[in-house]
Amino acid sequence: MEKSLFEIYQSPKLQSPSLIVGWQTPDIGKLGLRVINFLNEKLEGREVGEIRPSGFFPLAGAAFRDDLIQFPESKFWACEKNDLLLFKSDEPRYDRYKFLNIVLDLAKYNCKVEELYTISGTPSLTAHTTPRRILAVFNQSEFQEKLQGFGLENMTWEGPPAISSFLLWVAKRRGIPGVSLWPEVPFYLAAKEDPQAIKLTLSFLDKKFNLGMDLRGLDLEIRNLNEKIAQLRNGNAEINKYINQLESGLSLNEEDQVKLAKEVYELLQKRC
Amino acid sequence: MGIKLYREPKFERPIMVVGWPGIGNIGLIAVHTLRGVLVAEEFGEIEPWDFFYPRKVSIKAGLLKDLEFPSNKFYFQRIKNQDLIFFIGEEQPAEGGRMYATGGKAYQMANLVLDVGLKFGCQRVYTSGACVSRIHHEMKPRVVSVASSEKLTEEVKKHENTILMSEMEGGEGEGIITGLNGLLLAVARKRGLESICLMGEIPDWLSGAPFPYPKASKSVLEVFANILQIRIDFSFLDNMAAQIERIIESIYEKFPRDIRERYDQRKFVVQAKPGAITEEDEKWIKEHIDELFKKGGKENGEKPV
Repeated sequence: MEKSLFEIYQSPKLQSPSLIVGWQTPDIGKLGLRVINFLNEKLEGREVGEIRPSGFFPLAGAAFRDDLIQFPESKFWACEKNDLLLFKSDEPRYDRYKFLNIVLDLAKYNCKVEELYTISGTPSLTAHTTPRRILAVFNQSEFQEKLQGFGLENMTWEGPPAISSFLLWVAKRRGIPGVSLWPEVPFYLAAKEDPQAIKLTLSFLDKKFNLGMDLRGLDLEIRNLNEKIAQLRNGNAEINKYINQLESGLSLNEEDQVKLAKEVYELLQKRC
Repeated sequence: MGIKLYREPKFERPIMVVGWPGIGNIGLIAVHTLRGVLVAEEFGEIEPWDFFYPRKVSIKAGLLKDLEFPSNKFYFQRIKNQDLIFFIGEEQPAEGGRMYATGGKAYQMANLVLDVGLKFGCQRVYTSGACVSRIHHEMKPRVVSVASSEKLTEEVKKHENTILMSEMEGGEGEGIITGLNGLLLAVARKRGLESICLMGEIPDWLSGAPFPYPKASKSVLEVFANILQIRIDFSFLDNMAAQIERIIESIYEKFPRDIRERYDQRKFVVQAKPGAITEEDEKWIKEHIDELFKKGGKENGEKPV
């Protein structure tokens, strides 16, 4: 490993941890960001290192979102009591194979990581009132068998790969068992937050790693979101019709999808 | 980052013929067709993951089966007394959405290709590409060449329908061959190999077209056939060229009459400078080109190939 590409602030005291990876951009339903932040806060994660952005991100200027300057970050936190290593990062733009290998090198050689979990939302043509599922992709059948009974549903798909799939493939080549978790996010919540998908993901991790986390705070967020959308439905017959259709298992054409997504985005964008 | 050879054939002073995508895919189609005609056999590849983002993932019943990357393969064949190594790259290792390779990755890729050539005793490498020129689309494209030494330029210009870059109308004697089809020549020269680039002419206004230009690929292939002293059945390229010609004609018909008349003067002489076509004409074509491509496609039921 080229040492100029990363920095380890302090050696974590971990035994044989699992690595949990969340991508904060792009991030459907803010799932990666919220899950990693929640784990960090509840499990008292300690920042232990970072991958430097040079060579992996365009640094010709500064991006901004919602009036805030953004800077690409790729950081590791150790949750020593629970033997977990967390990694939160923006998706690299250049030299991605090298970047993903550095993630696994640091995890394996500096933190003794044994298993990999990636977290990414997947947009779904379902209503927000429908229970979410977590679709899963494993890189080893033995690991797939090991996680049976946790309510994960097997994904089947062919198409352009996301960075999580690329990481999972790199881990497979290196003999590290891994799973990509793809919680469903109703498409019209994809640009904002989906607390229900966040809670479902955290529930899975809580059960898998016996974390004993209190997730009740998320119920309030779920209730608030549902109430806001219910009010929108009451005042807008067209939006109500679209969501009814989804609740009945019917799909929407592209134009109607765009209208629904736009209305919900504007609703959730409003400041209370 | 590496080279993977499935086998190590015995070669005797092989020449290397290399192709990557570029303008009109002129070089790539020529090299690909030559490889197909000679039924050259695959014997190795450059591992792609350091250079490319995968383009497809296959997931079945919850298991990651594989990722698919653009291929970068080596092939070989012996014809008469000449051994040949082909290298065909499906994509140039470009970053930030560019079409052409630049910087460190391009240099690494060029060196890996040449590593294989040198390992097997290769002394000469050919690349192929496009030469954007002021020809009329009904004219037979010439093959414009540059080489790593004067001795080679003398050799290459003996082939029919071939001219040197310095002989081009309005040529200023210097320029750049963009991307790996160019960079490889320079790296080859640096590493002591002879290198030659054969570029098929493409009309300037078609250089950004979203379809190939097989007519120029055929011209390049004719030169390769001459160099290798082989006969090639061009019917596949002729058919492809005829299809593309229909698309081009449908676009050309939509040029305003006065521009068309001036452009048609190119049939009689290749224009060194704007000359018959005015700068205003060029501006008009450039401003309307996207629209013309769309119209040409729709009205004739053709789609970009």
